[in-house]
Amino acid sequence: MMFPFLKKAVTNAFTKPSTEAFPCPEAEGLGKYRGRIAFDGEKCVDCGMCIKVCAPAAITLDREDVEGGQNIWRTFDLTSCTFCATCADFCDEGAIQMTTDYHMVGTKHEDLLVKGVTFKKTIMGELECDTDNCIYCGLCARNCPQGAITVDRTTKTWQIDHEKCVKCGICIGKCPKKVLKFGEPKPEGVVFDESKCVYCTLCAKKCPVGAIEVDRPNKTWTINRETCIKCGACVKGCPKQALSMGPIEE
Amino acid sequence: MFNKLINDSASKSPWLYHINSGSCNGCDIELVACLTPRYDAERFGFKLAGTPRHADIVVVSGPVTSQSKERLIRTLAQVPEPKCVVSLGSCPKSGNVFKGSYSVEAPLDDYCHVDVSVAGCTPKPEAIMEGLYKAALILKEKREAMHK
Repeated sequence: MMFPFLKKAVTNAFTKPSTEAFPCPEAEGLGKYRGRIAFDGEKCVDCGMCIKVCAPAAITLDREDVEGGQNIWRTFDLTSCTFCATCADFCDEGAIQMTTDYHMVGTKHEDLLVKGVTFKKTIMGELECDTDNCIYCGLCARNCPQGAITVDRTTKTWQIDHEKCVKCGICIGKCPKKVLKFGEPKPEGVVFDESKCVYCTLCAKKCPVGAIEVDRPNKTWTINRETCIKCGACVKGCPKQALSMGPIEE
Repeated sequence: MFNKLINDSASKSPWLYHINSGSCNGCDIELVACLTPRYDAERFGFKLAGTPRHADIVVVSGPVTSQSKERLIRTLAQVPEPKCVVSLGSCPKSGNVFKGSYSVEAPLDDYCHVDVSVAGCTPKPEAIMEGLYKAALILKEKREAMHK
């Protein structure tokens, strides 16, 4: 045969080019390709596990106080992400998903951020365990993202570190006996620190409703919890930082 | 008129220069895949230039290691204006998983203005094509603004 390429040349003239068109058609068969992160703030319970497991520290938190709770903004920086999907694997609530969207091109940094907001009510009290019905299986401790719970099976003890607990509620879902619950919230109000107070009476003067009474010669400080509106004016006005807003014991 | 002819022709032939500032080679391979006949970035006139002095678009990959930082700055200074800097992958913009290492000096934004960033670890060739096309458009705008 004299022209072995002739057959190929003729067939090529009638076939489509192997080059992809531009703009590229959506790639098919991506399967488990990990692209842009999708975050559903409604599902998130703010346990903090995703931030803990993120190797390049691509997830940042912004807390913003609003009425009745907190708005928690999670920002996923795609220019920092390594797309390992560990955050999605560790998210118990399925709030983080890896999509197959690979169109991640931006001229500004904001183009490559994924944001989501979670609203967290601040009505919950501290986590309590009904130790009479507890079987000390340790599931709560094993699933706690912050490691706040310690369970000892041999001595039958259940302990919680309230400082570490973020009140995500994952342990409540994991408890097979349903003995975990959030207790009644402690009432909030002005907390008085006797050791710091110099009885200057500034707080009583700042109080818009006259709920505070300070007796200078006898060194007593009293507040009328009924009339107090928890505005915090006295806390701001105190020169010795003897007052703060927090749970009150009564 | 002569200038206009040059500008119009140059916008159809933006030459690429690729700097690897300590990349793992993942992004570099994908960039080369972009120039192959399957994705064919060369249809827009892209061509890998051998020297930064011939380049219009600079593609940077890698987390800017201490060893490569000085060379990177020196190379970027040799690229004639108007130029366009494209960051490839997560590394140049943030350092990715190498963030905080003693030998990594990311982000790239500290040393030059990044016009287009392509995210992904590594980005797909389709995404790189999009990024390069965007860079070519920005370059065209820059050149027009320069000769006004």
